[in-house]
Amino acid sequence: MSAPSDNAPPIATSVIGISKRFGKTGVLENINFDVAEGEVLVLLGASGSGKTTILRIIAGLEQPNRGRVMLHGRDVTELPARERGVGVIFQDYALFPKMTVEKNIGYGLRIRHRRRKEIRKTVDELLSLVQLQEHRKKYPSQLSGGQQQRVAIARTLAYNPEVLLFDEPFGALDTQTRTHLRREIRALLRRVNVPSIFITHDQEEALELGDRVAVINKGHIEQVGTPYEIYNRPATEYVATFLGAANILEGVVREDLVETECAKLQVQLDRERFRPGDRIKIVFRPEDVSVSRTEFLKTDHFKLAPAHVEEVSFVGAYERLRLRLEPPGGEECSEGETAYYLTTETPENRPHTIIATRPKPEASSAQLHIGDRVIVAITSFTVLQSS
Amino acid sequence: MSTVAPTMRHVRGFDVVRPLSIGMLVFMMLPLVLLPLASIFIFGTSNGLDKFWAALTAPDAVFALKLSMATSFWATVFNVIFGLFAAYVLSRYNFLGRNALIVTISLPTAIPTAVAGFALLLLWGPYGTLGRLLTPHGFQLMFTAGAIILANIFVTFPLAFGVIKPVFDTMSRSLEEASATIGATRWQTFWHVTLPSLRGAIVSGALLTFARAVGEFGSTILVSGNLAGRTQTAPLYIFAKFNEGQIEAANAIAIVLALFSFLIFSVLFFARDWLDVD
Repeated sequence: MSAPSDNAPPIATSVIGISKRFGKTGVLENINFDVAEGEVLVLLGASGSGKTTILRIIAGLEQPNRGRVMLHGRDVTELPARERGVGVIFQDYALFPKMTVEKNIGYGLRIRHRRRKEIRKTVDELLSLVQLQEHRKKYPSQLSGGQQQRVAIARTLAYNPEVLLFDEPFGALDTQTRTHLRREIRALLRRVNVPSIFITHDQEEALELGDRVAVINKGHIEQVGTPYEIYNRPATEYVATFLGAANILEGVVREDLVETECAKLQVQLDRERFRPGDRIKIVFRPEDVSVSRTEFLKTDHFKLAPAHVEEVSFVGAYERLRLRLEPPGGEECSEGETAYYLTTETPENRPHTIIATRPKPEASSAQLHIGDRVIVAITSFTVLQSS
Repeated sequence: MSTVAPTMRHVRGFDVVRPLSIGMLVFMMLPLVLLPLASIFIFGTSNGLDKFWAALTAPDAVFALKLSMATSFWATVFNVIFGLFAAYVLSRYNFLGRNALIVTISLPTAIPTAVAGFALLLLWGPYGTLGRLLTPHGFQLMFTAGAIILANIFVTFPLAFGVIKPVFDTMSRSLEEASATIGATRWQTFWHVTLPSLRGAIVSGALLTFARAVGEFGSTILVSGNLAGRTQTAPLYIFAKFNEGQIEAANAIAIVLALFSFLIFSVLFFARDWLDVD
């Protein structure tokens, strides 16, 4: 870990080299990350990736086989859950059904034997923070999902938690409520400025909620970065494909260009990382594809190859094209060269085609039909070492 | 084509099956349950209320009722606490022999009560396995109120457990985990979070146990000695008076016991909803 620079906020939570096995199956392998004061980190991963286990280890509900958990510089790895002072917002909110809203919120203070006056004051403040003053005498079952979630958050804020842990907090809600709630919670977290860790399998949620996102795959972290970084500069193929549709071209590094089966990309790669002859993968998003009917390209576009439009579908906000690339001259792209093949990993696994999306204005001003021949270029892409 | 004859089922929008089936249900219950119960009341009051009252307030009768209530009470207290504890252990921890324990706890319901009483005698009786060692030291458990409590505990053993355990099983683990992360000790979690959710189950488990214990006959008659005014419970009193031909005396207590179970099961029926209101 690097020493924090002067203007960086202090580290609130660190997970250092955590590994966890359940019986013979390894669940987590050497997990490392920090959460800064006031920061929101999202752990993004498919179900079964181990992200919930990370959360439970930080909360003290599960013990790691190796590694340490630090909260504000204090090693809490050996401490039981009740002595850690973390706030967990469970997926089902876990509100105490036989307690009213105010009893739920005051619970943390009551068991700490605080004075009644102090509890009352804190509960009042939190009720107004989460805007549930008129519901204070209600029982959890009388509240909506969103209200229950706010009670759950207020209940943890009452004892000034070191860090807030959200376990798939929007999993049980419908899409509309979800979007609405996560904006509400994001705003609330900015106000209270408590470092938070969210768990989700929803990439859109991760990108919107997180100051940083850690992508977890099969028990290890693939990449940690800002939403912009992980979306636009994915470090691995998994990250690229997990965060939405991605086109992947396999190729080989040449002296001053990158060669794929049907195209040559005129790009200079970092000589430190890529040497001529290296196998690589070029990853680009559907929205990074630009199509035009003429050979004329903008200067910052990289020409890929001519292609035929194979499918045009209108998906609401944009138009989606499936393009089949064709070899530029014909014979250069011989069939034997299996080393350079072209694939689209998501959403459908169909080799030799790529997916492109076009915004509505462009789609209507330059209409394309099935069978049209176009020139395909890409505006930005990431190069990954091929394993 | 013949015209379709109107069926019995719907006469001008009136569903005939409904009153018919309800009527049939009540009719079937008449000779089986309702008439026997009614005859207790009819017979008991046929000689006038004074006689009924006299039979009810006879010293031995009052004693039998009091003894039944007291022994059932203590058996209930024990079984509810034990059931709570057993349910907690058996639904929270998984260990070798767990299922065997669950079966063993549930066993006493399947054992004939006379066998249960006999078994207790064989253990604690003057010549029993343990009793043989204790009797010379002046410890004689059988043929006392203690024996009745012991028999009641045995035959009602799984009742409270059986009601409480499913509630434990379905209780979300995250409630207790949430309480722990908030900072509560195990005891605080149990007291503030777990126990309130079990309120309904505890009350109904207790009522079931109590009702069953008050009515217990088979095991009690073996272990109590059936001494009037000393170890005679209400059901034993009914049996004894019936044998002596004092039908009115038996009947007065029968009425009390019948009313009592009616009361308990009404409470059970309505209180569950009331106790589980969130």
